[in-house]
Amino acid sequence: MASPSLALISASTLISQGAEAHRFRKGYRHPTLDASLTRSRVAGEARALLRCLRSGVNVPGVRMVDASEGILGIEQVESDALEEYEIPVDVLMQLIGQEIAKMHLADVIHGDLTTSNMMLRHPSSFKSHHPTLRTELVLIDFGLSFYSSLIEDKAVDLYVLERAFSSTHPDSEPLFASILKAYGQGMGKDWAAIERRLDDVRLRGRKRSMVG
Amino acid sequence: MQSYQLPHLPPHLSSVHAALFKDVSDAAQLRQRLITASTAEGPDGTRARDALNFAFIEARLITSLQHLRTAIHQAVMADALGSLRTRTVHSEIIWSLNPTNNISEAMRRYGVSDTSTSLVVVRIDSPELSVTDIERDMDAAVNGTKVPFADLRDITDWTAVKKYHKLGNEVAIQQTKGDVDRERGVVDEIATSSVAMKMVMG
Repeated sequence: MASPSLALISASTLISQGAEAHRFRKGYRHPTLDASLTRSRVAGEARALLRCLRSGVNVPGVRMVDASEGILGIEQVESDALEEYEIPVDVLMQLIGQEIAKMHLADVIHGDLTTSNMMLRHPSSFKSHHPTLRTELVLIDFGLSFYSSLIEDKAVDLYVLERAFSSTHPDSEPLFASILKAYGQGMGKDWAAIERRLDDVRLRGRKRSMVG
Repeated sequence: MQSYQLPHLPPHLSSVHAALFKDVSDAAQLRQRLITASTAEGPDGTRARDALNFAFIEARLITSLQHLRTAIHQAVMADALGSLRTRTVHSEIIWSLNPTNNISEAMRRYGVSDTSTSLVVVRIDSPELSVTDIERDMDAAVNGTKVPFADLRDITDWTAVKKYHKLGNEVAIQQTKGDVDRERGVVDEIATSSVAMKMVMG
């Protein structure tokens, strides 16, 4: 029979459409292989979210999984336009750096770090435990995430964000520098090696050279 | 008792009824009746099973109504998709709540035990059944006081929940720095998310 989660979705109102909101069945792929890929993708994303939750990284809670259809239901994070929060930009950069550091300390690599994959919780639907901040930064979309303790993978994760910053924000260098400062403080002794590797990655680009 | 509908589910799984009982005095007998009913033959057996056609859940391990409802939803989904891991949708709720895949461990921890004093009782059925009849059967099955779900706050055993979810040394707990409210929020979120993703945990 048709999956109840598809019935739920078709009876619901679309809030916004992501680039890969639903992974359609590939007609050219063998059905068994397709089902197993669908399942492993949604499983990977759900596991990354749970690992983040257990490690104190701010991410949306998981609410339902339908592995057969590749559907992951998550908590709705109430949010608003950035200007509404009146957060100084350096505080915002600090929040980004801290959250990525917590995630990397848990050996979760996001795989697609951009400012579009970050949200600020709306104070009306969230009880802050911070002395001065009324919001918290939430990392979303773990569809490309994976586990790794490698310095290389953490450096590349940061590099992807740096590139996203430089292509969407004018004068992004000081902004990214303050993200890295907070990130470095969060990572502690691991930071020095990641910083060196990030310099290497910047020189050669995201893909590791296959030569030699 | 609270009742709600899941209109995206097939009719026989679309009606949910749940109640919280405290001061339960006959948990041991209830458990014995469940065991006897499960193997009894003939019309008497059918009657005994009908009278106990509920999920009897250890309430001290439920962290919030959302936690409970998430487990109920994953269980009805599994039934609708033909992928139940246990015999009934009611036992599947109990299985969904346990962080591991071990069925007997799930029943021992999250089902009714001889020492249970608070129980969440759940019935999944078709909307054709009368709410009054279901509530009457529920009251007949459990010897205790029915209280609103808000009373869970005095019933949840947070130490046991943390132990079963192995949260003792997790960073998320350490970060709360002893702020009890905040820690409970974190534990509830982890417990709820674990239930929601049980289907792909293994």
